[in-house]
Amino acid sequence: MADDELYALHQQELRRGTAVLACLLILQRPNYGYALLDQLGRSGFDIDANTLYPLLRRLEKQGLLTSDWNTEESRPRKFYRTSDQGVALADALSHDWDDLDSAIRALREES
Amino acid sequence: MTATPTANVTLTDRYVNSTLRSLPAHQRADIERELRASIADAVDGRVEAGGDPAEAERAVLVELGDPARLAARYADRPLHLIGPTLYLDYIRLVTALLVTVVPAVAGAVGFARILQDQTVGQVITGAMGTAATTGIHIVFWTTLLFAVIERTPSLRTGPARQWTPDSLPQPPTRKARRGTIIGATVALVLVTAFVLFSPVVSTETDADGDPIAILSPWLWDSGMVYVVLGLVAGGFGITVAKQYVRWSPSLALVGAAFGIGSATLLIWLAADDKLINPAFAAAAGWPAEVTEWIGIGLIVVAVLTVVQTVVETVAGFVARSWVTPDWHNMIHTIVDGVARR
Repeated sequence: MADDELYALHQQELRRGTAVLACLLILQRPNYGYALLDQLGRSGFDIDANTLYPLLRRLEKQGLLTSDWNTEESRPRKFYRTSDQGVALADALSHDWDDLDSAIRALREES
Repeated sequence: MTATPTANVTLTDRYVNSTLRSLPAHQRADIERELRASIADAVDGRVEAGGDPAEAERAVLVELGDPARLAARYADRPLHLIGPTLYLDYIRLVTALLVTVVPAVAGAVGFARILQDQTVGQVITGAMGTAATTGIHIVFWTTLLFAVIERTPSLRTGPARQWTPDSLPQPPTRKARRGTIIGATVALVLVTAFVLFSPVVSTETDADGDPIAILSPWLWDSGMVYVVLGLVAGGFGITVAKQYVRWSPSLALVGAAFGIGSATLLIWLAADDKLINPAFAAAAGWPAEVTEWIGIGLIVVAVLTVVQTVVETVAGFVARSWVTPDWHNMIHTIVDGVARR
């Protein structure tokens, strides 16, 4: 396996699951599927449309997101928003992220 | 909101319909509305960046990928037949069934055909054919059962069986090894003595007071007795060798060929009534059935030997070592070994 292939493989493993946290953080301001996909892409979260759209519904089913149809514009869009429970989970996960960050930092300083 | 089959049906319509088809009815309307909006947004995005509308639509759909995959993600359906949670149990159950049921059924069919006086070819094809059919049925039905369990969440609520270190295999002890060698030696001495002394020691005597051998004189006339004794000695040698020589594929195959060859010879001798001396049976006043039942008993032993040899060889190849020829251990070895591939 080439080195960059190996890197891509482990990078993907490392980033798995961060998309959920990113969604919960971004959607504290309501947004719809395609715009969210676009924003995630610009923030460096490489998630496919066919993964993101079903993921949003799963998070909604878990009570972490709420949704509303916006029919004011010519194209009706489903807007998602992080629920109170989702905000709490995002806080907890962000904490974990910080813990991981400091743990990795400590390991790097040791070595 | 389903599109009617007119010339106006777009690629998007076909894509959306294809995705919705396998989704639960109550989700369809909402998913359709959102999916259409998302596709339209993405197409607009590409067109604004200077793309051709038709090509943009195509590219967006290609990016979304196989509608069946998308639908499975919406419905949270697995895209595998049997997942990692069930896989080990599945493969262990299939293997356990294959190594127990297939040889048993094949042996039973082979035995029945031998009793019907069929030719060797018919016996082998019958046993092999039944083995293949049984194997296919076992694999098919077990796979179906596990695929259903994988797709029925309520069937998977039970806690997974906890693994404990008690199930780790134990290496054979020195005591067991010595027991095997003593047993093999005793068997060798008894069988050889029985065969060699049979012409001179007997419970029955003829008119001249000479002993009537229990084993058929044909064995000596044809020289077959030396083949039998050779096989007995060879079998003893292999049993002892297994205790001291490391397992190797060639040695394992020689052992297997030896076991199956000996059993086949025994079947042939018993089925052709070449073992018991008819004069002895007559002198002892045995009814005709006794000789017949001795023959059937020997054939049963021989068929079981073939089945056991095959399973032991398979277990040996799976474990890459000799296995103790007890059924529980052999099946465990095969089942555990196959689950690791």
